[in-house]
Amino acid sequence: MFHQPMTFKQALELRSELGADATVINGGTDVVVAMNHGAIKPTCFLDLSGINAIRKIDRDNGHLILGAGVTFAQLGKLHVRTLKEASLSVGGPAIRNMGTIGGNIATASPAGDGCVALLALGADVQLSSKDRGQRWIPLVDYFIDYRKTALADDELIQAVRIPYNPRSRWYKIGKRGAVNISLVCCAVSQNEDKKTQLAFGCVGPIPRTAPKASALLNGETLSAELIDDVANLVAQEVSPIDDQRGSAAYRRAMCSTLTKRLLTQLMEDNPKGDADA
Amino acid sequence: MPDPTPMEIPMTQVACTVNGEAFTRDVPVDSPLLEFLRDVLGLTGTKGACLEGECGSCTVLVDGETINSCLMLAAQANNRSITTIEGLASGAELDVIQDSFVATGAAQCGYCTPGLIMSARALLNDRPDISETELLTALEGNICRCTGYASIIEAVKRAHRESQSS
Repeated sequence: MFHQPMTFKQALELRSELGADATVINGGTDVVVAMNHGAIKPTCFLDLSGINAIRKIDRDNGHLILGAGVTFAQLGKLHVRTLKEASLSVGGPAIRNMGTIGGNIATASPAGDGCVALLALGADVQLSSKDRGQRWIPLVDYFIDYRKTALADDELIQAVRIPYNPRSRWYKIGKRGAVNISLVCCAVSQNEDKKTQLAFGCVGPIPRTAPKASALLNGETLSAELIDDVANLVAQEVSPIDDQRGSAAYRRAMCSTLTKRLLTQLMEDNPKGDADA
Repeated sequence: MPDPTPMEIPMTQVACTVNGEAFTRDVPVDSPLLEFLRDVLGLTGTKGACLEGECGSCTVLVDGETINSCLMLAAQANNRSITTIEGLASGAELDVIQDSFVATGAAQCGYCTPGLIMSARALLNDRPDISETELLTALEGNICRCTGYASIIEAVKRAHRESQSS
């Protein structure tokens, strides 16, 4: 069966009825790749691509609210620097026209660039079900283990909420300049109270934050010394593995390097924040 | 493409517009748009290669935006308007981008050419003025395995100049 609801309410009803029997699809850039590789053979789909209501970006009390169906192309036009740059680093233009932030979160790949940027920004994710209503949880609590998440079989991701962060930075290391999967990536952001958060991709089973290193930073004025301490702590905190794209040792070293680079950029920035935030 | 399985694949109806012509067809629920365009409609100008969004040879426009037709299901094209490489020329008159690819010798084996031309079409539809960076970004999802990028980029620049002067 192919279900193509036009409203999110209908989608929740179908999700409640079909549960895990229906493969949820929107942009298809993860689901159809897995099908083309023969990894999955779904015969029942719940297609969210016809629901215009979840393709919107709203502002609410200083927060940005992204519908789950917002594409990377849309995110690439935002002025939240880490999310904008992360989004523009995903695939090529066609992939960015298809792939959605909700899909990136649902797939929960440790290399999910959008997830890494959102973690640094301290985002919350809204999970909704027909019978149990809506719940907001911190994105950091959503990722449980490799491709294992807090999303229940009767729930769909509805939206993402991003607090105001006047300053943020992004850096991705990969093997080429375009259509590039992360070998390691790093996002940092700083909110109005100077609370600084770090997040990393490809250095563990899930996209992750670095709570110990971020705690060192909290409320402190950035200095070269502090940045060195944080960069050293990050290397101890992450848990990368060796794989075909790079070694654990290289990734660990790059986590320190990128932490140092991005925090130094924040330190040297205009104290009023990014010009375009 | 997915392997044929003993399991019966359900069918669903898709109604869409392709190159200005309306079609209604039954398609397997798991069939990619690429398969629908090539095998059902016989529009073999659109190519398939990597089937994972890395190469761009399957690029078509859906409602004016580039997508990888290997990664969109045919059923998802319901109520949408698709333009393939076959939809660019009017009769014997080539689109300015096609014309430029010919004039510049921008095709070697030619396999990537339809996808590149569709990416370039979306770029030129979008913007009257384009920077070098915008041009390179617009083409970054299309791989030319013959590595003939210099003449491809020249062809798109020429098409841009031509369409501005006309």
